[in-house]
Amino acid sequence: MTLMECKDINLIKDNQTILSQISFPIQIGDSIGIMGPSGSGKSSLFRLLNLLISPTHGEVFYRNKNIQEYIPTELRRRVSYILQKPYLFGNTVQENLAYPYQLCKQKPNWKEISSYLTKVNLSTTILEKHNSALSGGEQQRIALIRSLLIKPEIILLDEVTAALDEENTHLIEKLIINEQETHNITLLFVTHNKVQAQRLAKKILYLKNGSIHFFGNAAQYFSLKGEQDE
Amino acid sequence: MSNLSLILTFSLVLLSLALSYKEKLGLEKDMLIASARAVIQLTLIGFVLKFVFALDNLLFTTIILLLMVYNASTVAAKRGEGIEKATLISFTAILSGLAITLGVLISFRAIPYEPSQVIPISGMVVGNSMVATSLLFKSLLNNFKNKKEEIEVKLCLGAPPKEASINLIRDSIKTAMLPTFDSMKTLGIVQLPGMMTGLILAGIAPETAIKYQIMVAFMLAGAVSVSSFIASYWTYRSFFNKLAQLKEV
Repeated sequence: MTLMECKDINLIKDNQTILSQISFPIQIGDSIGIMGPSGSGKSSLFRLLNLLISPTHGEVFYRNKNIQEYIPTELRRRVSYILQKPYLFGNTVQENLAYPYQLCKQKPNWKEISSYLTKVNLSTTILEKHNSALSGGEQQRIALIRSLLIKPEIILLDEVTAALDEENTHLIEKLIINEQETHNITLLFVTHNKVQAQRLAKKILYLKNGSIHFFGNAAQYFSLKGEQDE
Repeated sequence: MSNLSLILTFSLVLLSLALSYKEKLGLEKDMLIASARAVIQLTLIGFVLKFVFALDNLLFTTIILLLMVYNASTVAAKRGEGIEKATLISFTAILSGLAITLGVLISFRAIPYEPSQVIPISGMVVGNSMVATSLLFKSLLNNFKNKKEEIEVKLCLGAPPKEASINLIRDSIKTAMLPTFDSMKTLGIVQLPGMMTGLILAGIAPETAIKYQIMVAFMLAGAVSVSSFIASYWTYRSFFNKLAQLKEV
C-alpha cells in the first residue's frame, strides 16, 4: 500500500533548480536508500517530505492526502526527519528524551526510554549527562531515540552515520532494523556508503542534478552499477 | 537659572569641541548639529507644551499621546527591519504598555488625566517601551537567524511554532526588560534619575520627589513588561508561514 507519494515535484530556490520532475511512491514498510552526489537535492527532498519547505510545483501525498492539508505538527510527528548533525537542545540528555512526551502533554515514560537506551548500548546514567559531555556517536543515538519516541510511521535519516565509526554505525543500524521489524516503520535514508545501502535498502533512489536517475529494486541497481563499473 | 547662565553653560560644549578637534575625532560637526537640535527641539516643545497645558483638552491630549506612541513605534520598527508589520506591532505594544500604566495610575488616583501630568509621564513610559521594543526586535531577529537549527529540530519533532521558539522568545523578552530592571536596582545608589533630580532642582522636597520617582520606576517596569510580552508573542508568528515553516530571516 502506498503511504506517501511525490508527484511532479519541482523545487526552485534563488533561480536555481534544486529538484526537477520528482515522482515516486513510498510503500508501507519500504526501506529506500537515497543516493547521489553532494548537492543533488537529497536533503531538500527530505525537507519537502517533512513539510519544512514546500515545492515550487507538484504535490506530496501522505495517505492519499496532500501533506499541506494536514496540520503541520501532526504530519511531522508521522514523518520524522533526523538531520545529519545531531542537535541536542537544552542542557541534559534527559531534557531531550522527555521532550517528545512534553509535546504530547504526557509524563515521560522512563521505562520506554530505558529500553531504547539499552538497545543502543547506553545506560540510564547518560540521562544526567550534559549534552556537551557526549561523543558524536552518543549524540546521534540520543537524537535518533528522541525521534523514535514520537512513534513516527516514516523516518527520514539524512546521513546520520556519515561522521560515525563502525561501532556506532552498527548500533544505529541495529536500532533501525529493530524498529522496522517491531513497528513496521518505513525508512528513507540518505547515504554515500554503498555497503550500508546494500545492507539496509530494499529500493534505491539515485538523484543527480536534482532529477531521479534511478528508482527501483536495490539488487537491480547494484547489479547495473556493477556492470557500469566493469 | 537666568538665560545668561544657561548660555554660559554652552562653554561645556565648546570644551567637547576642543577635545574632539585636538584628538582628531571628527565629531565637531555632529556635536554642533546635536547641540543646535537639542536647543531648537526643546524650545519648540516648550512652547507646544505651554499651549497644550493651557488648552487642557482631553481629546487634544489623547491625540498628542497617540502621536508620541506613533513616533516611538516607527523608531522601534527600524530595529525590526525584516519583521512583517513591525510598525503595527510596536505601535500596539507601546500603546498597550501606556494604556495599562496610565489606567492604573489614574484609577488609583496617583495622577489626574491632565496634560501637565499625563504628557511628561507618558513621555517616560513611551520612551522606555520604545527602547524595550527595539531591543526585543533586534534580539528576536538575531535569535531566529542564529538558532535556526534548534527551531527546525523541534519542528521536525512535531513541535508547534510557539513551542519550537519559546526559549528564543523568553530570551528576547529578558533582553528587552533587563535594562529597565537593572536601572531600578541602582536607583539612589548609582544614579539619581532625571525626574527626581528635576523636581529637587525645581525646589520640591526630596521626600516628595522620591515618591514620584518610585511611582515612575513601578510604571516603567509595568509598561516595559507589557510592551515586551505583546511584541514578542506577536512578532514570533511573523517568522513562520501558515504551514509552520520557518521563513528566511
